[in-house]
Amino acid sequence: MPVQMERILGFGRSFSFWPLLFGLACCAIEMMALGGSRFDMSRFGMEAMRASPRQADGMIVAGWCSIKMAPRVVRLYEQIPDPKWVLAMGSCAISGNIWDTYNIVQGIDSLLPVDVYVPGCPPRPEALWQGLEMLRDRIKQSKHAYDGLQRIPARDLVAECLPAENGRQS
Amino acid sequence: MTSWIVDPALVKQCGELEEHFGERLNERTEFRGEITYLVRPIDWYEVLRFCKETAGLAFDQLDCLLGDHLPERSSAPFEVVAHLVSHTYGRRLRVKTSLAEGEELASVTGLWPSAGFDERETWEMFGIVFAGHPNLRRLLTVEDFEGHPLRKDFPLAGIVGGRVRTDLRGKI
Amino acid sequence: MKDLLQNVRQVVMPLLADAHGPDEAREEAPRPTLEELKARKARSRQPLEVGSEVITVSMGPQHPSMHGVYRAELDLDGEIIVDVRPEVGNLHRGVEKLCEERTYHQIIPITDRLDYIAGFAMNHGYCEAVEKLMDLEVPARGRYIRTIASELCRLSNHILWLGVHIMDLGTQTFFCICFRDREYVLDLLEMLTGARLTHSFARLGGVAKDLPDGFEHRCRKAIEFLPKRVAEYERIIKHNRIYYKRAKNVGIFTSEDCFAWRVTGPALRAAGVPRDLRKDDPYAAYDEVDFEVAVEYNADVYDRFLVRMKEIRESCKIIEQCLDNMPAGPFVARDITRTLPLKSDVMRDSASMIQDFYQVFKGPAVPKGEVYRATEAPKGEMGVYIRSEGAGRPARIRFTTPSFYHGQALPPLVRGEMVSDMVAIFASIDVVLGDCDR
Repeated sequence: MPVQMERILGFGRSFSFWPLLFGLACCAIEMMALGGSRFDMSRFGMEAMRASPRQADGMIVAGWCSIKMAPRVVRLYEQIPDPKWVLAMGSCAISGNIWDTYNIVQGIDSLLPVDVYVPGCPPRPEALWQGLEMLRDRIKQSKHAYDGLQRIPARDLVAECLPAENGRQS
Repeated sequence: MTSWIVDPALVKQCGELEEHFGERLNERTEFRGEITYLVRPIDWYEVLRFCKETAGLAFDQLDCLLGDHLPERSSAPFEVVAHLVSHTYGRRLRVKTSLAEGEELASVTGLWPSAGFDERETWEMFGIVFAGHPNLRRLLTVEDFEGHPLRKDFPLAGIVGGRVRTDLRGKI
Repeated sequence: MKDLLQNVRQVVMPLLADAHGPDEAREEAPRPTLEELKARKARSRQPLEVGSEVITVSMGPQHPSMHGVYRAELDLDGEIIVDVRPEVGNLHRGVEKLCEERTYHQIIPITDRLDYIAGFAMNHGYCEAVEKLMDLEVPARGRYIRTIASELCRLSNHILWLGVHIMDLGTQTFFCICFRDREYVLDLLEMLTGARLTHSFARLGGVAKDLPDGFEHRCRKAIEFLPKRVAEYERIIKHNRIYYKRAKNVGIFTSEDCFAWRVTGPALRAAGVPRDLRKDDPYAAYDEVDFEVAVEYNADVYDRFLVRMKEIRESCKIIEQCLDNMPAGPFVARDITRTLPLKSDVMRDSASMIQDFYQVFKGPAVPKGEVYRATEAPKGEMGVYIRSEGAGRPARIRFTTPSFYHGQALPPLVRGEMVSDMVAIFASIDVVLGDCDR
């Protein structure tokens, strides 16, 4: 696709990025506050948080991801059609925060390619908004985190954990 | 605030409990205004049923049931603690029992259905089996999780899973 | 033309009339007995037809109803729910195991993230339990500040609950309205504690900081207009025909059921049991303020809504009384072996520096023993069980959170109800998964 076309499409997409309604934990409350009327994300076109991943443009992973939830997060990510972007909101999604325990994935970038990281515990709605602005810049340039990636990290993880079978690359 | 006295009405009613069970109540402690009874695992269900069904005691709610692991006590390293609340009288009581490795305990889901999740979690975290529980499987961790996390010999960071893929960092 | 007007009038007038008549009629109606509530429950539950096909639908961890990642496997016969199998644990962190490696002071920020909507209430409950174990007395000013912060958290929780509950029933209006009003409460909490959501404001022996300048003025302004706003929302929702039809006699959970399934808090009070730990087992400054316990008698979704609205009004009353009677004095206890020193002293005074060092590395001096302390969190009764071996770190700590049991109580609540009622009932029971899974 010619570059000019990508630029125009990116410009258009950045003004109506519809994230998947996917709040896991405390950061979800701040995400909902961003959707409220004081920190209004509707003025930037994002208030339509889609419930179905098929209709979404991307995912804001807000909260810690446990081992039980991890396959579902990956499945939701894969169900979102291209082009898609992921924003890791909060320290728990970036690196697991203080939950260095037996049940928590230490950062969802071990599972999915992440575009923007927003630190904080929880990040203020204004901080999340700054992260979304950075995300919108990437959308305008049509840059994705999975550019140049053959497989998402979760598939590699699974392949590593499963025993190697005959004729199958692990 | 700093005087934690046991409610005298509760002491009187516990007298009834002690009369009925006598020697089978192994120990009784009072700390910060709370009464704790230690019973043998065989008497667990009967003592709790008496607490619930006797009119004077009327402990109609099981506030929580939890497990504990004391590895320094090698003869009976596990403990199950039940906290009872009486809404009619506004009183609390604690009943506990000590278990050896592999010993089973009767389930109290017949008395208080809220023990269902409690006992599942206790089994999951400590490995204490509750005989008669309708649905004793993993509750909070994945179904094929190996090990009992809250035991003192289980490492906090876990044995498998959840670790960060540092080799992928920077390549994405 | 006259016929047309007549038809229009026939359609429009009933819609404009109050759904159930004035409040006085409702208040003077005879209170239903337990048998009558059971009969109503039996009537509202649909009979299950023999021989019809049952489909299993997974109301999976990601769904538009905003309670977090709760999964319920529903067995449906058309619209009627035959069975529910809840699955929790999608947010399990192993908090109890993590706390065994931390000193009592370091556990306070962890308790924040349990019920993250009312962070200070969790801090408060935990500190009350440790103070009971240590037999440490909190000075009067500290107790009053804790009460104010706890009640602000209760306001924040109930206003958010209202927005989410009405959103689950289909509208988006109240979501935006409630978040706007909640921002005022969060502003107050930010002014007091420094954070909007995860406060970590309680310390063993009191609170972290004193009331800032200008807080009292701002707080009084807020609690002056908040009850009026909430009264307006209550009026809109109470007399709304749609809400009345969706909430009246739906999800009846009698007091017997509540005791059996350990359902506490507003759901228990809506069933007619006047049990409020702030009155029955008072802590902080609750025995020095005057407030009423919100009780309703019909045990359905509608009454749980009314109970929470009344609790909002009572919270505003409590905050006002605390501000009026705020005692002077220290806001935290000063005890060398058990509390953290003030940071302003640590950099000046070698004794405070040593105390700080000791408290941070070794932890407070705690006797050997076990203790259980329950407080009235906004969602229900939160209890903390601590077994200590005399070290600065607990040997076993257990947080008995209300949402754990409320999540378990879903099957008996919704068996026989319709799927759309299930969403309303689940919202009224108030579950937050961070609280449930710890």
